[in-house]
This record gives sequence, C-alpha cells and structure tokens, in this order.
Amino acid sequence: MKKLISLILVLALCAGLVTVTASADDKLKIVVMVDGTVLDQNNGRDAIEARWEELHPEYDLEFVQPDHSAYYDVMQQRISSGDWPDVLILSSTYYAEYAAAGVLWDMTEAWENSKTKNSGRFTGDNVFEGLKIDGKLYGFAPTRGNGCVTYVKKAWMDACGITEAPTTYEAYIDMLKAFRDKYGTYAVAAAGFVGTEAPYVNYLPEFYQDAYPFFVQQEDGTWVDGFTQDSMKAALQRIQDAVADGLIDKETLTNKTSDARNKFYDDKFGVFTYWAGTWATNLKTNLEANGKDGELVALKPLEGNPLYYDRVPPVWCITAKCAHPQEVFDGFIDTMLDGGDTQMLWEYGAEGTHWTREAGTVLAGTEKEATYEAGQFHMLENLEKAGTLYTKNHIDPMLALAGFEEGYDDPRSVEPEALAAAELFNNNSRLASIVPVTDVLSELNGELTTIKNEIIADIALGNMSVEEGYQKFADEGALDMSNEIVESLNALN
Amino acid sequence: MASTTSNGTIQVKKKPLLQRMQKYWGFYLMFIPVLVFVAVFHYAPMFGIRYAFYSWKIIGDPVWVGLANFEKLFRQSQFTTSFWNTIVFSVVKLLLNTGMAVIISLLLNEMISLKFKKLSQTIIYLPHFMSWVVTASVFSLLLSPSENGLVNQLLIRMGLIDKGIYYLADKQQWRVWYYIINVWRETGWQTIIFMATLTGIDPGIYEAASIDGAGRWQKMWYVTFPALGNTIITVLILNLAKIMNLFESVFVLQNDSVRRATNVLQTYVYYQTFNSGASADYGYTTAVGLFRSLVGLALMLICNYASKKVRGRGIV
Repeated sequence: MKKLISLILVLALCAGLVTVTASADDKLKIVVMVDGTVLDQNNGRDAIEARWEELHPEYDLEFVQPDHSAYYDVMQQRISSGDWPDVLILSSTYYAEYAAAGVLWDMTEAWENSKTKNSGRFTGDNVFEGLKIDGKLYGFAPTRGNGCVTYVKKAWMDACGITEAPTTYEAYIDMLKAFRDKYGTYAVAAAGFVGTEAPYVNYLPEFYQDAYPFFVQQEDGTWVDGFTQDSMKAALQRIQDAVADGLIDKETLTNKTSDARNKFYDDKFGVFTYWAGTWATNLKTNLEANGKDGELVALKPLEGNPLYYDRVPPVWCITAKCAHPQEVFDGFIDTMLDGGDTQMLWEYGAEGTHWTREAGTVLAGTEKEATYEAGQFHMLENLEKAGTLYTKNHIDPMLALAGFEEGYDDPRSVEPEALAAAELFNNNSRLASIVPVTDVLSELNGELTTIKNEIIADIALGNMSVEEGYQKFADEGALDMSNEIVESLNALN
Repeated sequence: MASTTSNGTIQVKKKPLLQRMQKYWGFYLMFIPVLVFVAVFHYAPMFGIRYAFYSWKIIGDPVWVGLANFEKLFRQSQFTTSFWNTIVFSVVKLLLNTGMAVIISLLLNEMISLKFKKLSQTIIYLPHFMSWVVTASVFSLLLSPSENGLVNQLLIRMGLIDKGIYYLADKQQWRVWYYIINVWRETGWQTIIFMATLTGIDPGIYEAASIDGAGRWQKMWYVTFPALGNTIITVLILNLAKIMNLFESVFVLQNDSVRRATNVLQTYVYYQTFNSGASADYGYTTAVGLFRSLVGLALMLICNYASKKVRGRGIV
C-alpha cells in the first residue's frame, strides 16, 4: 500500500513539474476550437500543428476539434460553461448571434491595420463588408462562401439548335421548352423549391430573380420580410407556371441534392444550378462516367436579374475572453493568408504528410497511380482513406481571398472548366446578407419558416394559387409573426 | 442463521448488509460499471429538466420564467397538432402492425412446407433491418409520380389513374402511405413473438379438435386464435407505453408540403431548434420534451395497471 501511495505521489509530482515547465514557457498559448474543415487528428493534424508552431515559434497552438457533426453542440456547451477558447470558427447564423451577445472580440481596427488587408493581394473587400455587423467586424473569412451557377448541357443546346446561351428570361424559358419538347422530360430540377439555409434561392435563381423569402435590409436601412414583397409573389407565379408547363421537375419538392445530381448524370434534365468551381469538374467527370457528353455551359445571370448569391463564409473569430486578442490576431488570423508558408499550410497541409515535392509514386497499384519527378508538387495518399489523395487542408485554394506572394512556388493546379465556372461566379456574385438575431426572431422564425416553405411548395405544385397562398399566410397568423420580427429588427436601427 | 418460531415455521435471520456485501463483493464489483452507466447517462441528464422553467439560449445565464414555457406550448397550434399526430400515428400504427403480425403469423403457421415457411419468414423479417433513411429512399422511388414510380405505373397500366399521383406531397395520401410503409417494415419482426407462442401450443389440442371433427379453419379459429389472445394483449400493452417515441420514421418521409400536417412532438422540437435561423430557446424545447415524458409516464403507469389486471404482473 505504501508503495502504491509513493508511486501516486511521484506521478503527481511529475505532472506538477510538467505543468510548471509549461507555464514557465513564455510562449503565448492559443486555444483554437475548430470543426472538421481543418484536417483532423486521424489525418495528420499534429503535423499541421507542429509546422505552424515551427513557423510561429512565439506561439503554442492547441486545437480543440470535436467531431464535425457535433461541432456546434460542443461549441455551444463550451461557451455556456464559460470556458471559452481564444479562437473559434463560426457559421453565419452563430456569427451574427454571438457578435450581438458580446461573445466576440471586435477586430475592426485590427483588420484595418492588418498585413493581409494591406498586402495588395487581398481580393475580398466586398466579402468583408458583408461580414460587418453595425459597421463592426467580428470575424475573418479566408475564403469566399461560394455559391451556385447555372450549368446547361452543351449537347442538349446543340441538339435543339441553340447556338447562344440565353441572356434573357424569355430566351431561357424558350430553351427549357425546346429541351422539354426534344427530350420529353422536364428541363430543370433542384433539391427543394426553396433552400434550407441562406441564401435559400440559390438553386432556382432564374425563377426567383430578385425575390428572397427571408428578412432583407432595404437601401434606407429598414428591414422587410422578403416573403411578403411583390417580387416574391411574382417569383412563385413563375415557378408555378414552369412546374405546370413541365419545365421544372415537380419532384424538386422531395429531391435531395444527391437525387438531383443523379438525375442530371442520367440525362433526365439539361439545366442544373449547382456549386461553382470544383463542382464544374465533378459534374463533367460524372456525366462522362455515365457515358454522356460532359461539356457544360455556365450561364451568366440573366439580363435584369441580380447577381448570383455568394454564401456568407464561415469565419474565424476571437472570443471576448481572450487575454491577448491583438497578439492572437497578429499571429493566428493575420498569417492565414500571408502569401507564403503559413498560407501553404492552411491550403495544402504539412509537407511530407499531406503533400510533397519529392520524387515518388502515389496510389501505386491502382487505376489512379501517378509518378512524380523530384521538385514536382503533388498531394499524398489520405492517411484515413487508402486509395484516395488529399485535395486540400482548410482553405480551398480556388476560393481563397488572397493569392500567394509573387515568386512563391504556387502549386495551384485547377481544371479549366472549374476555373472558368469559379471566375464566372466570382465576377457575377454578391454576398448574401447577414440578418441580426433578435429574441422575437429566435422565438417565431422556426414556425414561420415552416409555414412559408409549405406555402411555397403548395403554390409550386399548383395546389393553390399565389393569392390563396398569401391569404393562408395571413389567415394562419404567419403575417403577424412576420410583422413582429420585422418590428424587432427595425428596433435595432 | 435460522430459528424456529412458536408456530413451527422456520425464520431465516438476514446478515447485516455490510457482511452480505463483503460476502458477495465480486457481484457488487461487477455491478459498479452498470451503476455508473445508469447514473451518468440516465439520471445525471435529468438535472436538465430544470431548463423547462427557464428561458435559455445557450449564451448567457438562464432566465427563470416559471411555467411560461408551458403556457406558450399550449398556445401554439403546431404543438397541439404535433401532439395529436403523435398519438394518432402511434396508435393506428400499433393496431395495424399488431393486426397484420397476427394474420401473417397464422398464415405462416399453416404452411406445410418447412423450407417455404423459413424462406417466407426470412423475407418478411428483412425490412426491419433496413435503416429508415434507406426505407424512405426506396419508397420515394416506388411512389414517384414520374415514369420511374412503380406504384403509379402499375395503376396507370391497370387503367385506374390517368397520370402519376404525388403521394408523398399530398397530406392525406402521405398518412396512408406512412402506415403502409410501417406495416411493411415492422410487421415481419413482430411476427416473431406470435410465432413463438404458436409453436408453444400443445399439439394434443389440435389432435383432440381433429377427433371432434374440427376442420382447418375451425382449428385456427377455436384453438390457434384464442391461444394468441394473451400474447396480443401483452404486445399491445407493452407497445402502448412507448408510443410517444416517434421521430425517425416521420422525419425521413416529411417534405415542405406536408410537414405541418404530419409533425409529431419530436419533429416539432427538431424544427423549433434547427429551423429558427438562430439559437433556439432550449427552455421551451425542454418544456416540450418534459411534457412528452410526462404523457409517456402516464401511459406507462396505465399500461402497468392494465398489465397487472390482464397478466397478473406489471410490465416491469
């Protein structure tokens, strides 16, 4: 027994000494809470942490990374317990709410004076303007949120004798009718007549046009419920007509995104609004894998239509309890897009673990086997999923808001169709707005959204007219709920 | 230690608890993990019930609101609809599944070919092992209004309908198909308990019935069916106590068009939590959960009472 007690005492002493050593170290510790968008421990996160600390020796980085699907549960529990991390990543919903609740550090001034903003490489001023809440910035986005563009099958256009991509709504509808008549099927399908998260309308932009079913701030600063506006009524009429004419798949109501994609690959329809960038390549390769023609034409927004919606990206925030926010901003946030080694780390991971320039063969013995010469950049095999290669770390190179410094060995290699779609989107998009959260919105919006979505679905399927839908909206108290929320938002002004 | 009382009965004197624990320390040691598990995962979370009396959106301290969450709950028309849907869906599902399970069990019991009986049993058990997500995908395809929808195509070819019906988007049709899908998925599994009862019936009774001149139908009606009676009541009572636990089967089949008409309490809580565009009021959603638990508790007590009356023992 005495031996056991002695052993416990020795172990406790050792533990104490370790603690003392760590606290005596003059490194600034940064506790970072992050979801699965950073490569996790099973995928070489320790190598990323080690490389980051090598690049920034004055800091001691500690990741707290719950399971991706449980991130917001765990994050909220941690915030509610008062044990806040120094840095955390937040989606737009939580960003607005936490900023309003005083959980986040105001980084407006730090950002204005930052190296990134003043680097000459930064291209995301409009994104950051959209992230401001009451003129203040509480989060840093290293990438765009990305959004959807409309792809049309070139082979279908050719078969219908359409030589020019439509630029007006009338020409667009004529094209859909030509597809329907030629192939005997609907021309457009999506996953839902309305999206489940902002920007809600991004899967059917040609039909929604300037309509928006959620709360929007007008130019004079006042808030309105976009669902109650005439533009929304007109959009619902367009959707109803298109479904009735057999131009939109009525199963859009129950389609999941995978259903819509599979129907597209099976040539069930010819016009698909989906994510820009890498997805252009994915759509092409999947069509070709199904024995179809993979050439797609990405449409610009139709004349008179607003630009495509760019999602509000997830943002890195510093909490209000962080003891050294400016130092954390300088060391952690402001180096993410430094145009050099740290950006390389965030985009591609750690050299030797996730990528390399050494000569070698990857995915040996498989159909995807590739051999590289010395000095040739290539990604390495996934540590968790044998037979696949890593594609990126946290930052998607195609969406990054700043490129590398001139002369830096940029490994970026993008398929031409992905680059074309990404450029078309970047040049023709606007950031979805952030709606501040009020108690009234939080209380009523769950039920209000359910009613709105039901009315949209019923109008789209022709179960009721637009007028009947809006009458139902008023009769069932939804209009009152909407007005209450609008009032609470305007009270913030 | 035993002693004899004045009326001649032997009374065993129990040893003190500590001595007994010392004697059976191995059993108590083995019980510790179970005790810890139950305490941590079943009892400790019950402290969360207190949030039903607070308004709490995770950030900041909970604010005491007394019974306000419960008042709000009864004002919400969606809550009332969800509550009744929970009861109706569960009870109808229970009666249909049990009824079908009895019928199928009786039919299986009448099968002469053992191989065919086993094959039939395996086929009807299989759907139970499919996840609800897969089940929903399969039926979405079968019920599709397009040319891919098997049900619609069959009905069109039989001349019963002119064009495909969008069953899952129609509020009334949705309910019908919800019950059909549940019967398809769960009936086979429920037949196990009835088949076990049928196997236990004394063959002598059938022989006696045959001697008395009973035919096949008469034996089924006068011997087999009464033998199942007690099991049917037991199954109904045991399942009645669980009827408030309805989520996945409804959730995976819902869509925007039917959601409000088909919400049950647990899907209602889900949409209140994740559809608000902001952090939900966890106080309110806890109140809904607590109400559901109280109704479940009341049902369990009623079932326990009914079980004692019918079977002579409670359900636990």
